[in-house]
Amino acid sequence: MMKIAVCIKQVPAYSDGMMDPKTGVMLRDGLESILNVYDLPAIETALKIKEEVGADVHIFTMGPSKASAVIREAYSMGADRGYLISDKSFSGADVLATSYALTQGMKLVEDYDLILCGKQTTDGDTAQVSGAIAKWLKIPHVNWVTKIVGIEKDSITVSQMMEEEIVTLKIPYPCLLSVEPSIFIPRLPSLKLKIGSKKKKIEVLSLVDMEDKEEGNYGLAGSPTKVERIFPVHRTEQQKIIEKDSREAAKYILEVIENINK
Amino acid sequence: MKRQLIYPMEEKYQEYLSDESKMMGKANSISFPQSEEEILEIITKMRKSHIPITVQGGKTGITGCAVPSKGHILNLSNMNRVKEFIKTDEGNTFLRVESGITLLELKKEIRRLKNQEALFWPPDPTESSATVGGIASCNARGISSYLYGDTRKYIEGARVIHFDGTIKDIRRGEIAIPFLGFEKDLLDLYIGGEGMFGILTELTLKLQPKPKEIWGISFFFEKKEDVFDFADSLIRENLQGEKANLAAIEYIDKVTMDEIQKRKAFMTKLKELPDIAPEFCAMVYIEIHGWEEEALEGIAEVLMEMAENCNSDSNRAWALSGDTDIEKMKNLRHGAAECTNLFIEKIRLKEPRITKLGTDMSLEGESFKSVITKYETDIENEGLRACIFGHVGGNHLHVNILPENYEEYEKGRRLLKKWAKEIGEKKGKVVTEHGVGKLKKSIFLQTASRDYIEELERLKNTYDPIKMWNPGNMIEE
Repeated sequence: MMKIAVCIKQVPAYSDGMMDPKTGVMLRDGLESILNVYDLPAIETALKIKEEVGADVHIFTMGPSKASAVIREAYSMGADRGYLISDKSFSGADVLATSYALTQGMKLVEDYDLILCGKQTTDGDTAQVSGAIAKWLKIPHVNWVTKIVGIEKDSITVSQMMEEEIVTLKIPYPCLLSVEPSIFIPRLPSLKLKIGSKKKKIEVLSLVDMEDKEEGNYGLAGSPTKVERIFPVHRTEQQKIIEKDSREAAKYILEVIENINK
Repeated sequence: MKRQLIYPMEEKYQEYLSDESKMMGKANSISFPQSEEEILEIITKMRKSHIPITVQGGKTGITGCAVPSKGHILNLSNMNRVKEFIKTDEGNTFLRVESGITLLELKKEIRRLKNQEALFWPPDPTESSATVGGIASCNARGISSYLYGDTRKYIEGARVIHFDGTIKDIRRGEIAIPFLGFEKDLLDLYIGGEGMFGILTELTLKLQPKPKEIWGISFFFEKKEDVFDFADSLIRENLQGEKANLAAIEYIDKVTMDEIQKRKAFMTKLKELPDIAPEFCAMVYIEIHGWEEEALEGIAEVLMEMAENCNSDSNRAWALSGDTDIEKMKNLRHGAAECTNLFIEKIRLKEPRITKLGTDMSLEGESFKSVITKYETDIENEGLRACIFGHVGGNHLHVNILPENYEEYEKGRRLLKKWAKEIGEKKGKVVTEHGVGKLKKSIFLQTASRDYIEELERLKNTYDPIKMWNPGNMIEE
């Protein structure tokens, strides 16, 4: 049976852009939290593979205890097991520390054939955690996956969307794929599974469980990068407003479109 | 330099001659005031020239309330500020807002309020670009009115500008006026008054503590009999409790689901939803609002069992929780209405005489099955096609005829009149939440009592003797 891990994240539903000025850490208290929308296609990809060839789908997320809600949501879609990587020392992590903690957690559970990640998160927006996990695990990593072309015994064939072409790649297991939102429309949670998800176990992995118990390698302490400032972009350019009658306006718009690629 | 207030009607203002009813109106000028002072300046000019005024908000109405029949258009979409958050000693919370604020803007503003507990405004029409002024003027409701009741309950006051420029702040419970031998709160003249009696510039909205937990569940059915049994059993069973309640029960038929499916790929909010399997003949969308997750789960489990007893597979039922995810389901429900509007818009390119042809009728005391079957049989007998969706409670269904040509449109119009007569005779409501406007005027006048119509005319003569406001709405000019 194929072993698939999906890394997901709980994020604020919307941003008030509030940051702790001392630590550069986002302040999330009181905001509604949701499963990162980019992770839904990753979960769906795992479930589609499970339906096609049979697989165990395990979910990993790093966060405080309330992040278990996103694992339950993944259960409601059809995931089999869930692991919450949670410890005080893990908080405030940047890409490096996040990917390290996730990798440490996954290593405790299984040698996964396939690890799936979403394109990015809506709060961090770095889109780098997937690549960093692959680096820690020393496995091949493919970004911008838009299609699963074939699932073989020892490999998986995918389409990768590059800037001007689509590349077909055959990648041996174990490997990590970061999927584009367009890969699949994610299913909505089923009522039966949602009700059943309450009784399903979520295993918590904290610092004491990890092979590497050195606190300084995790969280804020283990983050070489720090958020200095979050601010809305100051717009300096005024948009031109053109007023014409409808025929002239249509001609003008056509000219603008024709000139875009010149 | 003083800004120009009044603009002559030019091609660029064409869109303001219509609303979602797709009726096309006429006007000579338009304005977009940003303050009461500007409104007063505009109406003084119009009054001196004997020019009537049609007041507009978001133009999302579907009965033509905001469609000008003549004169001047006063569009209040720039009057969208929050004025005051009020918290009383008894713990009641109110928000005073300008009437041009949209539901979407209102939700954001309420979220920003500094209050210990989260709040919300219960009326929830699915069109989030509707303004609170428009909602109040039509007494529009939304899917959760099943639990929360009439919109009037959540409007505590209004600031009204009258034809002569006088401004009055009206609070609920302060002034009563005679109406058909009873007493009516003066505020309720304006709520549902379709702009006929004065301009609402501000509204004081009564907020409620926001339920901590919300679930949205969509059940799908392959056979009509099963969905009828389910709908009727939902109304029969009392699932309301202290910690959780059914807030909405919505029906969407196959024609509607097919219309949504056709357009899904081009509708931003719907294209990310999974396809609805073609074997389903109908769906029922239920919202549960409550305070404790266990209580909601308890209701969900009961619903699951009821649905399974009606042959709906709970493995295939969709279940979401939390505001953000529930929006996906609300978007689907809104898609029902939007698709019928898009259908009409497309047909109008070939046949501009066609307007929206939908019902807003409700009939308590009859089985859901008998009401739907009656609609479907009549539609089939006329050789027409229609979307049927709406609120299971009160059998308040929106039957939208989808005419392919003018002949079918005329057949549809006759059918709507027939239903209005039949429902009127059974003491049902012919107009429930969309307003009368211009589109529903003939069926309203056909079915309302003579006394009621005369009372409205009397009030119009009292509060708008010069017939300044919203000519053509509800009663004959």
